[in-house]
Amino acid sequence: MALAIAGTIALILRAILTTAAEVPPATGHTVDLWHLVSMTAIQAGLTTVLSLFVGTALAWALNRLRFPGRDLIVGLFASAIVTPGLIVAFGLLAIWGRAGWINQTALALFGRPLEVPIFGLGGILMAHVILDGAFAARILLARLDAIPAPRLKSGQSLGLSALQRFTIIDWPMLAGALPGLAAIIFLLAFTSFPIVLLLGGGPANQTLEVAIYSAVRLDFDLAGAVQLAMVQIGICASVILVASIFAPVSATTGRSPPSTWRDAIAARVMQWMILVLGIVGFGLPLLATLIGGIGPGLAEVLTRESFWRALGTSVALGVGSAALTLILALVIALGRAATVAPYYRVSVGAPAYAYLAVPAVVISLGFFLLVRNMGLMPSAAAPVVVLIANALLSLPFALATLGPPLDAIALSRGKLIRSLGLEGWTQWGAVEWPLVGRDAGVVVALAFCFSLGDLGVIALFGTEDFTTLPLLMYRALGAYRSNDAAAIAALMLALTIAAFVLLPKLFGGLTDARR
Amino acid sequence: MLGADRLAYSYPGADRRYDLSFSALPGEVTAVSGQSGAGKSTLLDLVAGFLAPASGSLTLDGRDLLPLPPEGRPVSIQFQTDTLFDHLTAARNVALGLPHHTPAAAARGQVEAALAEVGLAGMGPQRAATLSGGEKQRVALARTLLRNRPVLLLDEPFSALDDETRGTVRELVRQLTVQHGWITILVSHHVDDIAALATRRYHLQDGRLTRVP
Repeated sequence: MALAIAGTIALILRAILTTAAEVPPATGHTVDLWHLVSMTAIQAGLTTVLSLFVGTALAWALNRLRFPGRDLIVGLFASAIVTPGLIVAFGLLAIWGRAGWINQTALALFGRPLEVPIFGLGGILMAHVILDGAFAARILLARLDAIPAPRLKSGQSLGLSALQRFTIIDWPMLAGALPGLAAIIFLLAFTSFPIVLLLGGGPANQTLEVAIYSAVRLDFDLAGAVQLAMVQIGICASVILVASIFAPVSATTGRSPPSTWRDAIAARVMQWMILVLGIVGFGLPLLATLIGGIGPGLAEVLTRESFWRALGTSVALGVGSAALTLILALVIALGRAATVAPYYRVSVGAPAYAYLAVPAVVISLGFFLLVRNMGLMPSAAAPVVVLIANALLSLPFALATLGPPLDAIALSRGKLIRSLGLEGWTQWGAVEWPLVGRDAGVVVALAFCFSLGDLGVIALFGTEDFTTLPLLMYRALGAYRSNDAAAIAALMLALTIAAFVLLPKLFGGLTDARR
Repeated sequence: MLGADRLAYSYPGADRRYDLSFSALPGEVTAVSGQSGAGKSTLLDLVAGFLAPASGSLTLDGRDLLPLPPEGRPVSIQFQTDTLFDHLTAARNVALGLPHHTPAAAARGQVEAALAEVGLAGMGPQRAATLSGGEKQRVALARTLLRNRPVLLLDEPFSALDDETRGTVRELVRQLTVQHGWITILVSHHVDDIAALATRRYHLQDGRLTRVP
């Protein structure tokens, strides 16, 4: 399985490299590569710093505070990983845009709108920090939850102040996760596509991903796109190489037990302020999307055949992609857990993680070129290609979710399994499946939601006949049918939330064994 | 005297109910034995204030301890692991036992003296992570010295130590308890530890403490 994945990567890279050598560059069109790279790096760097700051503050507040509905808020931040960037960007427009809530209110109160620059670097950063800050908060909260009880009891018994508690107990736990988390956030921001596409506001804020899309879709400059893709792969691969030095960051969506040790009142006031700001910052764009969707556009959209076709395509791709991701992740994770030999473990796992270096638009471009080189019409191969590409994009997250529990089972029960002579399906049915069922549900939910919200892969393969919900929404925005876009965004968000909440529960219900 | 009278506690969703009564005297080590899962750590958590009993009383020389938060109780606690903050130096760990805002110069002298008393003179600058298990327990005892709290709770503190170190640290605990008049409560499932240290013994079973003659 790992070989098949490695082979696919090789084919994609070969298609890109071959095209780079063969296709002459388009005339009359120049790309300012330095500007693109620096712009992409600046926004990714700023996103990383701000997201880590926001994430740390939110994790600190969530770890300390106990209140009814805390699980729901923790779940809300956990959902950041699957919330489509397109929806957050759209939600921000609904709040800060020209006809958004803020301007409507300002117009009603002061007779003139506020000039908030939502398009450009500010808007991009805001959307990224909302998504990545919430993602960072959930990861860092898990680190704080993992502080050993004796350490907390010692600290509480010693009467450590809120500041001492943070610097002496919390910070050492957080610091270990920050470099790896920073690398992930940098990569997510560096390869972000829909947010920049929607909020970029023009060529000045264009990033590599958007430039690749523009080169293929708007300028038909394949050579330029390939050149940009190679730069993109090079930079992402370098970041991954650096990140591999640091401790891995595990995906977390489970429960978070609230701390029983409360800080002093001043610290608690600050924690509440941070939490309220965080909930408003992350929740408001989603709420704006939902509210905006239940408008005049909803009924109209629901009567359109194009919507139902796109919904059917999105769900079918999501289900297929989720199933493929689960199979790939299980086979690779089980194979990796079966041995402790470092070389074998790296060889089996590396191809799946290598996809982090190849962003969605680049994967899509590679497949596009591959299909074309094979003499096929891209539109004919589109469903299969989009399904495979989406599954491969979900694979690193799927492995991060399934790998650790399967490794732990192999470590703690490996000898018992062997002594009992369990193997194959018997072993899977009796041991692994009951223990990792809920994690499998998380993987299915992640992959389904990633596929549902994807715009990067479908952007190059989408046609009038082969359209998903994000593409339909993007087209509606491009045609200034904002009511339609709002309705589609709301339905997409509702579907994402339902899948993210229900699928792990469904799988968990089927397998309720405790590790 | 530290006395508990019918301290009642049950974990949410669990069937077992604890109903704990005991007394412990200054200068003595009171040992509590019991099987794994019997609730020995629960007993310490109730005394230290990490758990709140549903009813009963806990007093030190007649003073009611139950309303006090963990940091306000006259109690120091040591665990088998994670009893120190590994990324801090031994001296910094010990200094955490001093009242906050103690002037640095005064703190330095007191920390050195405490470390010397537990046989670790000059080890202050070493990071806790680099210390052996026995040294870590000694550093924690030095911190207890500076905290100057009359009750010392020991939660399986010798379990991770080899036999020789175990004997040395046990003897140090006994000496300090006698010298400083601590009320030391040791929970352990190791018969050797209890036999070597206990002045007074209890056995915990089915949620109740029974005095062992």
